[in-house]
Amino acid sequence: MTSLPVALLLAAGFLAPIAIVAIYSIMPARTFVLTGSVTPENYVAAFTEGYWRPLMWSVSGALLTTILCLLLAWPTAKALKSLEGYRATFVTILIALPIFISESVRLFGFSLFLMPAGGILAGTMDAAFDVSIGSILNTRTAALLGMVYVHFPFVLFPLLLGLSQIPEEQREAARDLGASNWQLMREIDAPLAAPGALIGALFCFVLALGANAEMRILGGQSVTVITHAIEQRFNYAQDWPMGAALTMLVIAITALLVLPVFRRIDIDRLIRR
Amino acid sequence: MVEASEPRPGILSTHGISKSFGELRAVDDVSIEIADGEFFTIVGPSGSGKSTLVRILAGLDRPDSGNILLRGEDITATPANARPTCMVFQSLALFTHRTVGENIEFSQKMKGVARDARREHALRMMEVVRLPREYYARPVTQCSGGEQQRVALARALASDPEILFFDEPLSAIDYRLRKILEVEMKDLHRRTGKTFIYITHSLEEAMVMSDRIAIMRSGTLIQTGTPHEIYRRPESRFVAEFMGEVNIFTVADGRLAELGIAAAQIEAPYLVVRPEYLRPAGNGDADFRFRAEVTNDYMLGSRTQFHLDAGGTSLVAELPALAAAGIAPGDVGEWGFDRADAVPLAD
Amino acid sequence: MTGSNNSALRVLRSMWLLVVLLLLYVPIASVVLASLANTRYMRFPHRVWSLDAYAQALGTYTTANLHLTSLSIAVAVVIVSVIIASFGALAFARYDWAGRKLFRRLVLLPVFFPQPVLGLALLLYLTALGIVPDWKTAAFAHIVWVVPIVTLVISIRLYHYDVAQEEAAFDLGATRLQVFREITLPALAPGIVSGALFAFLLSWSNLPISVFTSGADTTLPEWLYSRTATNYSPLVPAVAVIGTAASAAIVLLAAALRPVFTRKR
Repeated sequence: MTSLPVALLLAAGFLAPIAIVAIYSIMPARTFVLTGSVTPENYVAAFTEGYWRPLMWSVSGALLTTILCLLLAWPTAKALKSLEGYRATFVTILIALPIFISESVRLFGFSLFLMPAGGILAGTMDAAFDVSIGSILNTRTAALLGMVYVHFPFVLFPLLLGLSQIPEEQREAARDLGASNWQLMREIDAPLAAPGALIGALFCFVLALGANAEMRILGGQSVTVITHAIEQRFNYAQDWPMGAALTMLVIAITALLVLPVFRRIDIDRLIRR
Repeated sequence: MVEASEPRPGILSTHGISKSFGELRAVDDVSIEIADGEFFTIVGPSGSGKSTLVRILAGLDRPDSGNILLRGEDITATPANARPTCMVFQSLALFTHRTVGENIEFSQKMKGVARDARREHALRMMEVVRLPREYYARPVTQCSGGEQQRVALARALASDPEILFFDEPLSAIDYRLRKILEVEMKDLHRRTGKTFIYITHSLEEAMVMSDRIAIMRSGTLIQTGTPHEIYRRPESRFVAEFMGEVNIFTVADGRLAELGIAAAQIEAPYLVVRPEYLRPAGNGDADFRFRAEVTNDYMLGSRTQFHLDAGGTSLVAELPALAAAGIAPGDVGEWGFDRADAVPLAD
Repeated sequence: MTGSNNSALRVLRSMWLLVVLLLLYVPIASVVLASLANTRYMRFPHRVWSLDAYAQALGTYTTANLHLTSLSIAVAVVIVSVIIASFGALAFARYDWAGRKLFRRLVLLPVFFPQPVLGLALLLYLTALGIVPDWKTAAFAHIVWVVPIVTLVISIRLYHYDVAQEEAAFDLGATRLQVFREITLPALAPGIVSGALFAFLLSWSNLPISVFTSGADTTLPEWLYSRTATNYSPLVPAVAVIGTAASAAIVLLAAALRPVFTRKR
């Protein structure tokens, strides 16, 4: 059975940690053992003590990021698809490359670009046009832009994969049958690219849900996101059970979204070319 | 056709081999005797178990019960790599990362034969299957369908097997090329003198090439015989219908039920008549006669096929072009067939 | 559709792609620009353009140490994940077996999982097991996340692989070991090379998992992350550029050596 090593790894490195977190989440607050009496108090506290705020920030931030990424990815995917031969490959590689540059480098660059007075943008504007501009650094807007910037490729590539599987004959047939550009998109492109778009959106949402660095580097202290709140519970407050309960909530939201999509979508068909 | 007048010595025999996958009995108590040098074809629809059977014969699968003898020696437990047999797969299973030459030389390389000797042997095999020498260094992925077929054949022959198995190697090939390769296959069989055991779902293909044919259905061999026997004397409606369009009549109370005519002295419950034996019988010279209307005609080349309506029963007749002249849809007349051309069937 | 309409659309699309590329690379270019200063505070455009920060970065023990930590993790991740994922890919893409559907979902789960949450869960798990986190635990955490991705990368290459090739080789007299060496391994090779590149780059650049699982050891992205908010100097962008260039160099080297691994394609 060649599946054994992967299965063992994921059992020991993925499922077991989640199980441990699940157990911690029902232990009494501020304890460090796994054998205490079972209690729902952490979950109660999660909803009554204001933790819903960071959770909502994370969920709404992830949602907004996903929508913006989809809106940007659609025309980009269409434009990429219309390129031919080696130009398409070249541009695709250029778009993919930044994924492999560390998030911290890219977000750092983003903040250098946006820095007020002396930042790359503000400095250039000042020197070249003698215009001094304000800065959006340390605002929610900057953090959101950073989120879109980081997660854009994760929507684009699944969408591109979905689009590439639409047989050109089907589009030609639709056009031949009298479909306008708009109808072509609504009747052929959108439904056929839907699995790819859905995978991309899901990917983006789940990754953005845990996003933390964007807010810290670009958002300043404007908002506390859920991962940050969890980290604080673990590190500063030394309240593992509370942190575990919040972690379980994020995992639950993820599972609620991911599992139904997994059931629906045929990964085989999407990967096979 | 050289019919074996003296019995050829047996090479491969199976005794009651069976194999199940869960509830499904894919191969059910199959016993066959195959003669040395024979072209033996197993024909059956998809799901009949023929592929499982050939995989067991090749040693790729182990039967649940029964045994396999090669020249009298039990090889049931011998794995495929230790059997002097070789299989040509449905997908051909060419090694896509290798050249034509490397594919053909593979079995020799495994045996540790020196490079030069391997190359010489491979080139000889390419000659046998009529593949030009310059293909030797070509990647197999750059060969056409027919060329890949020949590479697969050469690769199998290069291992010098006593028996070659074929698991529907022509099924993915277009009609014209398939016809050419069928003839080549038969020719190759004659030139090499090896035993060929061939699997196909096409009885037509089997008829062209085989010395003997076995018909397989639901895991069992229901009839074995020469192509002639299978065609002229099917033992069941399944075999009769498998060959193509036939007319089947039910015999009840001494009459052919569908036509309502007397059928004295026919004991069997069914009577099969091939389309080419139905003919116009206006002059009353056929043993069985009935009135029918021609509903459609189809030009088949040297023959014409007619669909007939005999009092609500649809029948098929095929006539040579000359005899077909002047018959058109709408014609109503006497049709008939002779007792000698009708095959009584028990099942 | 008319011709002029069509060409207008084409121009529009090219412009759009150009804008997208520009936006994707502006932050990266910003890092490079910022690194070319020698003043403590960022005042762009620089009065003096210099490579001092690079000289300083290359001379410090910290830079070498950060690279060593990241490299140790990445090398461990590449070796272990490629081996595990190769077996996984065979099960994922090649053989039909009863638990395959479940297995595929299990493999995909960690990919569709918030990375910081995975890091946090692993931290809690390690602590519960009494293991003190260091670069080795970070490597393990990376492996958990990277193996599914590498499995997918290798699987994609395996979809066109005909399993009957192995049976054919066996039937032609090859032993099980010969079948693996002559047929299975060459079929896996291109996927393994791509998979190794993915594993290296993903591990090298990872921040969200490392932050929680590397303990007292610090990886390159972690250090950059901690220095972006506080203690700024041109040294920080310089180290970022060096780190990125190092990974690019390693990838280019691997790409140049690629034909060696996948000979006879």
